[in-house]
Amino acid sequence: MDGAKVTPGRTAGLYAGAAVLRLAIFTLFPGIPDLLTGRVEISTPVTSFKRLQEGLFLYNHNVSPYDGGVYHQAPLFLPLFSLLPSSASLPIFTYLLYIAVDLLSASALWRIADSGESGSSALFTSPRREKRWSGFVIAALFLLNPFTVATCIGRSTSVFTTCAILHAVAKAVSGAPFGAMVALSFASYLSMYPLLLLPPLVLLCYDRQRSGRATKSMLQFAGTCTATVAGVLSVLFQLSYLLTGSWEFLPSTYGVQLTLSDLAPNVGLWWYFFIEMFDSFRSFFLAVFWLHLSSYVAGLTVRIRRQPLVVLTLLLGIFNIFKPYPSISDTSLFLALVPLYRHVFPLMRYTFVSAAVVLYASCLGPAFYYLWIYAGSGNANFFYAITLVWGLGLSLLVCDLMFAVLRDEWEVERPEMAGKEIRQI
Amino acid sequence: MGQLLSFLWLSLLSICVFSSSTSAADYHEQLNLRPLPQSALLASFNFRSNTSVSEFEKGNFRFFPRSLGQILQHAGTRELHLRFSLGRWDAESWGARPWDGAREGGTGVELWAWLEADTDKEADHKWLTLTNALSGLFCASLNFIDGTRTTRPVMSFQPEGDHSTTTNMHLLYGVLPHEVVCTENLTPFLKLLPCKGKAGIASLLDGHKLFDASWQSMAIDIRPICPLDGECVLQIEQTIDMVLDIDRSKRPRDNPIPRPPAGHDLPCDTSKPYHSHDTCFPADYTAHQDWSLTQIFGKTMKGTCPLADPAVPALCLQVPESRSVFVSEGVREKKNPDRVSRCFDIPPSTHLEMVLPTPDDSASISVTPEAPLLYAERSFTGHGQERGGVQTILRNPSPDTEVEFIYMESLPWFMRIYLHTMEARVAGQSHANKSLIQQVYYRPAVDRARGTQLEVRMRVPADSTVFLTYDFEKSILRYTEYPPDANRGFDVAAAVITILDPHQERQGSVSGRFAAYTLRTTSLLCSLPTPDFSMPYNVIIFTSTAIALAFGGIFNILVRRFVAADEGPEAGLAVVLGRLKGRLMGLVKGAVKR
Repeated sequence: MDGAKVTPGRTAGLYAGAAVLRLAIFTLFPGIPDLLTGRVEISTPVTSFKRLQEGLFLYNHNVSPYDGGVYHQAPLFLPLFSLLPSSASLPIFTYLLYIAVDLLSASALWRIADSGESGSSALFTSPRREKRWSGFVIAALFLLNPFTVATCIGRSTSVFTTCAILHAVAKAVSGAPFGAMVALSFASYLSMYPLLLLPPLVLLCYDRQRSGRATKSMLQFAGTCTATVAGVLSVLFQLSYLLTGSWEFLPSTYGVQLTLSDLAPNVGLWWYFFIEMFDSFRSFFLAVFWLHLSSYVAGLTVRIRRQPLVVLTLLLGIFNIFKPYPSISDTSLFLALVPLYRHVFPLMRYTFVSAAVVLYASCLGPAFYYLWIYAGSGNANFFYAITLVWGLGLSLLVCDLMFAVLRDEWEVERPEMAGKEIRQI
Repeated sequence: MGQLLSFLWLSLLSICVFSSSTSAADYHEQLNLRPLPQSALLASFNFRSNTSVSEFEKGNFRFFPRSLGQILQHAGTRELHLRFSLGRWDAESWGARPWDGAREGGTGVELWAWLEADTDKEADHKWLTLTNALSGLFCASLNFIDGTRTTRPVMSFQPEGDHSTTTNMHLLYGVLPHEVVCTENLTPFLKLLPCKGKAGIASLLDGHKLFDASWQSMAIDIRPICPLDGECVLQIEQTIDMVLDIDRSKRPRDNPIPRPPAGHDLPCDTSKPYHSHDTCFPADYTAHQDWSLTQIFGKTMKGTCPLADPAVPALCLQVPESRSVFVSEGVREKKNPDRVSRCFDIPPSTHLEMVLPTPDDSASISVTPEAPLLYAERSFTGHGQERGGVQTILRNPSPDTEVEFIYMESLPWFMRIYLHTMEARVAGQSHANKSLIQQVYYRPAVDRARGTQLEVRMRVPADSTVFLTYDFEKSILRYTEYPPDANRGFDVAAAVITILDPHQERQGSVSGRFAAYTLRTTSLLCSLPTPDFSMPYNVIIFTSTAIALAFGGIFNILVRRFVAADEGPEAGLAVVLGRLKGRLMGLVKGAVKR
């Protein structure tokens, strides 16, 4: 499939196929959307569609949705979904919106893949870059990934964040720093954690500036980008303030992520840890967990300076394991970017193990959750154990990808070592 | 209907008595006994004392209990209602509730009060003072009524007393459904009475019998009453309603295990066609049970309280005129003109015993209770510990009148209700009927800070059943927030249903009407998902290990250099083993040489 010509017909076919698949599930199995919306693997307290419905209901009835413990999502979702016809009476519009968002994400991913940034960035060109998948394949892998489909059917609002992040990266690789920063601001506004992607994204934008109007100074460029993000975010916050009439949305959306006050089970590692945490150490460990999450940004950005897109990919992989409310939607975003590194796949050592572990966890996770919550024949440790396995499997994948990318870099210096056994000292 | 008439008659009687003497400090007590179907007997104790507001403010308490009075003054309480309840009122067989439901609470403890305060914060502070003081006075866990269990109802409750101004009055409502009402609450309750339970009808109250009842509710109501002419008085009314199972009460104390009666003792319905010497359809022998005061209460009544107003008969009995009742010597029976109730004049220092033998003509005195305005039943739907639904079945038995009421829920914060799923549906119809719900007041819960408050003004059309349903999600708590018996579940307070009087309008209140009838559903038990309580350390260790593995792996890859397998300094287990082997071989060789 490498380098195959992609005709407009095939593009349209892929998009149409993905849309029809989703629409078919929505319409042929009307019970499935609500079933998936209720799954803890898909809907977290900060992305659940049912909570969005509740927030919308309160908003439309002049009760502040943030004066309560149910709605923890960004205020701008409220007018957006108020404009749509009610999902209870005319769900088709909501379905179409979610399908459109998925297709937009896929098109952004396509542009990223076609730019070839993963194989040859401004500072580094991989010797193996010829061996890559086309944008068509990568978009198809994203659109037909069961995790992506389930997220779309479950109508989790994290698809908007995914779309914004992918667009930020797509804008960055196509040399539009302003667009990238605006998209990243939207992503951060919706989910907060994408703000941590700012340093590698600034580097990516800096590397991919159009030669005509390139800014020379790195610092100046970074300052401009940060100011752009701050400006857009403040405009968004101001808009939210005008919409809701108070600042109480800040503690209710971002505060919940920072303090993890809602301990609903999810695929991450935080919830059970903070259920079982002793009260006097809760704040300490919250700080440690957030510090741990943000500590990767600096290390990766510096170490893999020559390939900022790799840093973004790895960070998304790490966030998908260690953020406070992860879901399989974050996994689908990470897995969408991984195929961009087709050229380093042969250098990965534990592909089978990590793939097997992830599959094992995705099969057993729902089963163990059922045993705990419904059958009563298992306890919370069952589901907790499977989230540990899930986290370990994904972190193995992240480590493996990191190893492969770094070895690929190293082999530029030592071309004779290709295929040889190596070790790290 | 006869029951209703007699109740009305009695109430009229008491109102007459009161209106004539409200200005002075006075005290009166009365016990009403009413047989109910299913061999049950309702005993309603009512104690009422007044004190004038000016005397109260000066600190002159006569019949008004000083301990309670001082708490009220300290906490700036204008009106107070406290309920301790246990069991379930079986409306299907017992019919309408005593006092039209106004003197009962949901299972556990309920407290609502109007406090005088300028700001909400001050009201909260006074409320805290009040709950803590009452907690000590009544030996109840009222101090656990914190912010998460306190609500400020908007439509459901109206002040019962006469208040000159309502602008700075704050209504706060707290409920403890988990509280187990028991003897330690009865003792302080009796201590508030002028005769302290030593004489009069209160001498019949005994923890063993009261808390053995099928349903019981102790109530304290304090309210200011201002007659049109004369001085305002502060009135305290203490009420105990209990439904006793006559069969259960008649079991001997030394041999309380029920045993099946012999065949010839079984009361059979002889009208059944299959009735014969070896088949028996149990007869509804409820109305013609024979019982005596000693059997029911375990003791006789010790005279009357000398402080009580002698004009009010201390004991009234609602059995038809035809039934014969034997009482102790010296007690005079007065049959009321309504022909279904009679009262007794009891001389002080008489030990009253009353015996009702089995009547000869059972058919003429069967008990048909008066139907209530509304039947309500609430239950959980769904299964599993993740989410569920609440369904309330509201049935209006009246063939021609619509019932309008306010349905109030105060739910704990860990039940996250989804208001957008709330709908009311008439039984037999498949779609929700939007016109049933007229007004909703909703204050959502905030995690660990505030419970949900939901008040719905709705109506049930005549002769129909309405299903009110909504979904909720159960949240999982921190392991220290679970009670010791976490798997038992969490009690959810009863829903309060206040039926609005269609005839009487009231100025200034939100609902605009008086409450015609109040009822409460049963409380519910909500089981939440539980973590494993035994292994906090293990979880902390496992999660930390997983994080350390990922961090260590990434850190390793990031900071270490790549070299070919045969380059660089040697390391690893093989090197160490090789060195060890070399050294051992050297030692062996040295030993061999020697």
